[in-house]
Amino acid sequence: MISTLIYGLTIGGILYIISIGLSLTFGSMRIVNFAHGMIYTTGAYILVAVLPLLKCNFVEGVLIAILVVIPLSFVIEKYIIRRLYGESIDYAIIATYAVLLIGVDLVKWIWGTSPIPLSDPVGRSVTCFSVTVPAYRIIIIVISLMICIGLWLFFKKTIVGKIVIAGLQDREAVRSLGINVDKYFSIVFVLGSCLAALGGVLYAPITTVHPYMGFHILLISFAVVIVGGLGNLKGTTIAAFVLGMVMALTGRFWGPAAEAMVFAVMAVVLIFRPIEV
Amino acid sequence: MIKKILNSGALGTLVIALGFVILGLGTSIHRTTDFIIFCIFVIGFDLLYGHMGRLSFGHMLFYGSGAYAAGLLVRYGPPNPYLAILIGICAGALVGGILAPVIVRATGACFALVNLAFNQVGYFLALVAFAKFTAGEDGLSLTFSVIPFFNLTNPKVFFGFSLFCLVLTYYFMKILTSSPYGILLRTIKENETRAQFLGYNTFIYKWITFILSSSISAFAGALSTINYSYVNPSFIDPTRNVEVIFAALIGGTGSLYGAILGGVSYMLISNYLARYIPRWEMFLGIALLILVFKFREGIWGSIRGEWKSRVEG
Repeated sequence: MISTLIYGLTIGGILYIISIGLSLTFGSMRIVNFAHGMIYTTGAYILVAVLPLLKCNFVEGVLIAILVVIPLSFVIEKYIIRRLYGESIDYAIIATYAVLLIGVDLVKWIWGTSPIPLSDPVGRSVTCFSVTVPAYRIIIIVISLMICIGLWLFFKKTIVGKIVIAGLQDREAVRSLGINVDKYFSIVFVLGSCLAALGGVLYAPITTVHPYMGFHILLISFAVVIVGGLGNLKGTTIAAFVLGMVMALTGRFWGPAAEAMVFAVMAVVLIFRPIEV
Repeated sequence: MIKKILNSGALGTLVIALGFVILGLGTSIHRTTDFIIFCIFVIGFDLLYGHMGRLSFGHMLFYGSGAYAAGLLVRYGPPNPYLAILIGICAGALVGGILAPVIVRATGACFALVNLAFNQVGYFLALVAFAKFTAGEDGLSLTFSVIPFFNLTNPKVFFGFSLFCLVLTYYFMKILTSSPYGILLRTIKENETRAQFLGYNTFIYKWITFILSSSISAFAGALSTINYSYVNPSFIDPTRNVEVIFAALIGGTGSLYGAILGGVSYMLISNYLARYIPRWEMFLGIALLILVFKFREGIWGSIRGEWKSRVEG
């Protein structure tokens, strides 16, 4: 039971790291960003490529993956997302999906279609309450909690975070104060993309790295964002951990149904709470 | 006079039918049947996207439920193709009818994503959960019974039948979209609050439209099952949704001719051009970006724009 709990928290943490970027992009720019899945996949693949190439350790690989993603997400923001401001939301979905398709195909071109397994970078296990769990999972949970606290501090204490929160609530009012909101939103976009890449590299050792990995996790993250409320950061946090638990509990009884169960929960939530977008 | 003929739809039907017959003679019958079926699917999709302004990112679910309902009936029940089509349509309507109350409450981004999520569930059900009946990844290969005079297992007869189905769908949609109901749909697309303000219960209208759209998609799915005489999870694969969106966009949304032109264009590209394009998904992505940023009105939209400027100028 405790191992299921740990597993649920691990998945919840990963989902949180990925979903928060989606939620921020939606809240700030009203854009559903499929390209997020591409960033996630890219992050994991960069890690896979860098580890044997530079013979560096896992942490350095993670840092390199995140650094590579920054210019990439900046380009996407500048040439795709920014041109979609104020457009119909449908076009934004299609355009970012197109970016996802291009990204997936590039990954297939460079690294091939076969899944690449990645070994657990820590390798050790921790025994607590007479249950043995891999230490790596505990590390993931700790990292996600740290990011949670870090983002909270960022949005409460720093001026950039405050501007972004204000911009989420009323963009025009912030702009009328003479602040270039779009610039701050693009910072947020890059931040969200870094988190997506981080989620990708952290999740890679648990699953395998394959070109379509972004697509599946993206769907679940969308479910998280919808359940939590689009653009609602607190809701997204809670929803990520709850749905992570749902996945772990379902997976305990019948592995393949875990993903479907998340969408079932989402449907139930949608029935009782209609969404206003 | 010209306008009257154009509006009656008879000319349009003739052009569509002739076009497909020429295409069928020029290429292969089987492939052209596939084109026709895809056009029916695009029309079903465009009823939601073009006419009601709701982008569904999970229409493969309805296509797949039609295909699987038809396939399962033929495998475990009477192998009558007509009955299979009927059951397929009913299955699409049923799935659409059950899911619609959840789905149509959402708008914009949520609508697309919720559809996609349900499509993923449907894919899982077909691939894993009911693998005992659907044979999972391998799919079902089917044999249909031979019905005298209208033997759908004959490719030529089936070609004619599909064309008839397309014309039927075309007329149905033509009547539907030019009726007050169709006007209301466009009102919902433009401004739903205004429609509610005028006293219409938009929820019911959206529900009915969703069922119609899912039924037409399932119709296409069932026809496709007969054309291929097998059904496998690629019929319900959520990653294939982009095909129908691409087709609707390239043809021009919100018009029947646009949907048919788009369906044919997409199928031509994917059947003939794909051979020369080594990176198919990348091509699709770049083409979609061009469509979204530079070519929003689609083929039919630009033809119509050209026509209008010629007539007026």
